[in-house]
Amino acid sequence: MRCGDFKRTYAEDMAIFETRFARGLLWAFLVFLATVPLFATSYWLDILNRTLIAVIAAMGLNILTGFTGQISLGNAAFLAVGAYTTAFLAGRMGLPFPVVIPLAGVVTALVGMVFGIPSLRLKGLYLAVATLAAHFVIEFTVVHWEKVTGGVNGISVPAAKLGALELAGDRQIYWLALPLAALLLLFARNLFRTRIGKAFVAIRDQDISAEVMGVNVFTHKLLAFGVSSFYVGVAGALLAYQARIISPENFPITVAIDQLGMIIIGGLGSVLGSIMGAMFVTLLPELLRLATGALSHSTPALLGLFAPLKTGLFGLAIVLFLVFEPDGMAARWRKVRNYWKLYPFSY
Amino acid sequence: MTRTTSWKRTWTACAAAAALFVAGGARAQEIKVGGIFDLTGITSDVGKPYAQGVQDAVQLLNEKGGINGKKIRLIAVDYGYKIPEAVSAYKRLVTDEQVVMIQGWGTGDTLALKDFVNKDKIPYFSASFAGDLTDPSKTPYNFFVAPSYSDQMRAWLSWVKADWKDKSRAPKVAFFYGDNAYGRAPIEAGRRFCKETGIDLVDEEVVPGNFQDATSQLLNMKQKAAEYAYINVTTTGVSLILRDAKKLGLATKFGSNPYGFSEALPAVAKDVAEGVTGVVPHVPYGENVPGMKTLLDFNQKNHPNETRNAMYVRGWSYVQVWAEVLRRADKAGQLTGEGVKKAAETLKDFDVGGLTNPVSYTPTDHRPMTKTPIYQIKAGKLVKIAEFDMPRKAEWLGL
Repeated sequence: MRCGDFKRTYAEDMAIFETRFARGLLWAFLVFLATVPLFATSYWLDILNRTLIAVIAAMGLNILTGFTGQISLGNAAFLAVGAYTTAFLAGRMGLPFPVVIPLAGVVTALVGMVFGIPSLRLKGLYLAVATLAAHFVIEFTVVHWEKVTGGVNGISVPAAKLGALELAGDRQIYWLALPLAALLLLFARNLFRTRIGKAFVAIRDQDISAEVMGVNVFTHKLLAFGVSSFYVGVAGALLAYQARIISPENFPITVAIDQLGMIIIGGLGSVLGSIMGAMFVTLLPELLRLATGALSHSTPALLGLFAPLKTGLFGLAIVLFLVFEPDGMAARWRKVRNYWKLYPFSY
Repeated sequence: MTRTTSWKRTWTACAAAAALFVAGGARAQEIKVGGIFDLTGITSDVGKPYAQGVQDAVQLLNEKGGINGKKIRLIAVDYGYKIPEAVSAYKRLVTDEQVVMIQGWGTGDTLALKDFVNKDKIPYFSASFAGDLTDPSKTPYNFFVAPSYSDQMRAWLSWVKADWKDKSRAPKVAFFYGDNAYGRAPIEAGRRFCKETGIDLVDEEVVPGNFQDATSQLLNMKQKAAEYAYINVTTTGVSLILRDAKKLGLATKFGSNPYGFSEALPAVAKDVAEGVTGVVPHVPYGENVPGMKTLLDFNQKNHPNETRNAMYVRGWSYVQVWAEVLRRADKAGQLTGEGVKKAAETLKDFDVGGLTNPVSYTPTDHRPMTKTPIYQIKAGKLVKIAEFDMPRKAEWLGL
C-alpha cells in the first residue's frame, strides 16, 4: 500500500494514472464494460447508451463550465445541432459514421463558437441568458427549416454504417459509444495537462489575471466553447444514431438544465465528476421507475407520482450536494478513497 | 446488539423487500398489454381520464373472467409526453415485458414509433387519430378507435358550410393549432378540404406547445375577421383561447377537436364556452346509450365520488375494441402480434354499445369509422347537433 507522494521525474508528476495497478484496474474495468452487452437486456443497453451519451455531453459542458467558468444553457441546442447534422449527413448524403460523427462535432463546434462570442463581454448570469438565446434560436431553426430537419414531425436517421457493417440496435451502438466515450474522456483529462487546458483553468479562476499573464482570454474562451461544443456535437451524433428518429421534442430546455445538474452533482472541473454526475442523473429515473413499477401493481395511483417524484428528487439532490458537498460526487469519492488509502492513518 | 444479530436483521429486511417485489411477479395464464399514458405531461388534462378509463375497463374485464379465461395484465407507463421516454418505454415493454400489443397515446410518439412497431410487429392502438396512421401499406400495425383527425376536421368544416347562412360569399375560417405533430396532424387535410368545398381559409395561427396566453394570435385572427375557428390543442388550451377571445370581444364561432372538447370544457371555461362546437367521437359520460350502463354501475360501485367525462368513455371504449380483438386472436390460437393484427382486421361494424360508432378495419384501410358527431355546448351541457359522414375516399387514406 503506497503511502505519501514520491515523484522522481516530471513525467511521473504529470501522470494521470500514477501506478501500474491503477492503469491495470482501468483496463480491466473497460474490458468488463465491453462485455456487458453479452448479458444485458435491450432495455438496459438503451439506458447504458443514453448514459454514455450523457457522459460525453456532460464532459463537454464541464469543459466549458467547470474548467473554463463559462456558464452555458445552450447544451440542448448543441445536442440538437449534432443530431440533426448527423441526420442530414447520414440520411441525405449517406456518409459512413466515421466521417459523420467527427463532422457533426466540427459543425457543432463552429455553431458553439458563434454563440460563444457574447462571452467576450458577458460573464456569469448574463452569459447564461445569452446562451439560452442560443437554445431558442436553434430550436426555432430546427422547427421551421423543414427541408433539412423535417420540422415538428422529426426526421428518421438511418443506422450507422461503414460499408457493409451496419450498427443497428443498442448492442452495436454500445460498442461504438463506449470506446468513443473512453477516448473523449481521456482526451479531456489530457487537455488539462496542456498549456491550453491550463489557460482555461486560469480564465476560470481569475480572467483578469489570466489576461495580464499573457493568456489571450477571448481566443481561449472561444476555443473552450468550440471544444465543449465538439463534445456535445459528438454526443448528439450518437443520440441520433441510437434514437433513430429525432424531433424538436427530443431537445427541450430541461435537457440543458439536466446536464448542468449532472456536472454540479458530479463535480465541476473534474472528469470523474462528469461521469458520476451523468450516471446519477440518467439512472435516477430508472431506479425510481423500478421502485414505483413494482409497487404500482398494488397502488396504481403511484404511477402518476413518478414524474413529479423524479423532478423533486433531482432538485433535492442538487440542493443537498450544493450544501454538503459543493465539489460534487467526485470530491466525495476522492475523500472516501483517500480515507481508505491511508487507513488507519487517516490524518 | 452484537454484529451478527444486526447483520441478520439487515438480511431479513432485504429478503422481505425482495419478497415484496417478487410477490408481484408470479402470474398464471395472462395476456400482457403495454400501456403508454400521459399522466403528467402537456396533454395530461385529457391523458389522465383516458388512462383511468382504460385501467377501469381492464379491471372490470378481469373481474368478469378476462379474455376466454385469461386475465389481462396492463403494464402502464407514464411518459409525460416526452418522445424519448416513450421510445424507452416501448423498448422495455417489447423486449423485457414481451407485451402482445400496446395501448398508446400521443401523436408525436406514435409517429416516432411507427417504424419500430412495424418491424417488431406489435399492434399499436393509439389515442392519436392522426390520418398518417390509417394507411396499412405504410403503417400496418397502427390502429385507433375514432374517425381520423382529418375526417373530423372535414366533418366540422361541413358543419360550418351548413351553419353559414349568407349564400353570397364563402365563410371565413381560421385554424388554431399547437406547434407539434399532434397540432399539425389534420391541418393539410383541412386546407385541401377548404379549397374543395369553397371555404375561405383566411388565417392559420400557431400556439407554442405549452402556452398560457393566446392574445397575440387572436389579435392576428381578429384582423383577418374569421367567422369560424377550429382549435386543435387540448381542453386546457381551448379554455385559454376562449377566455382570451372573450377579452378581445371576438364574435368568432369556435370549434374544437376531440381532445379539446368534453364536459371538462364548460366546467373550466364556464360561460365563455357557451355555443362552442366540437367533434365528439365518443359520447359524453352518462349519455343515454346501451353501453353506458356498465360504466355507470362500475363507477357507482368503485369510484362513487369521481367525476368522469368523454375522455374516460374514450379509454373505456378502446378497451372494448381491443379486448374483442384479443378474444378473436385467442380463439384462433394466435396470440402474437401478427395474429392480433389479423384479428383486428376481421372487425366489421363492431358495436361498442353506442359509446362510439361501429368499428371496422380491413387489411387495406385502417379507418375504423367515418361518421363524426358534432356537439355544441348549450347551457353548460354537451348537446348533439349534427353528424357528418365523410366518404371513404382513396386519396384521403393516409392523409
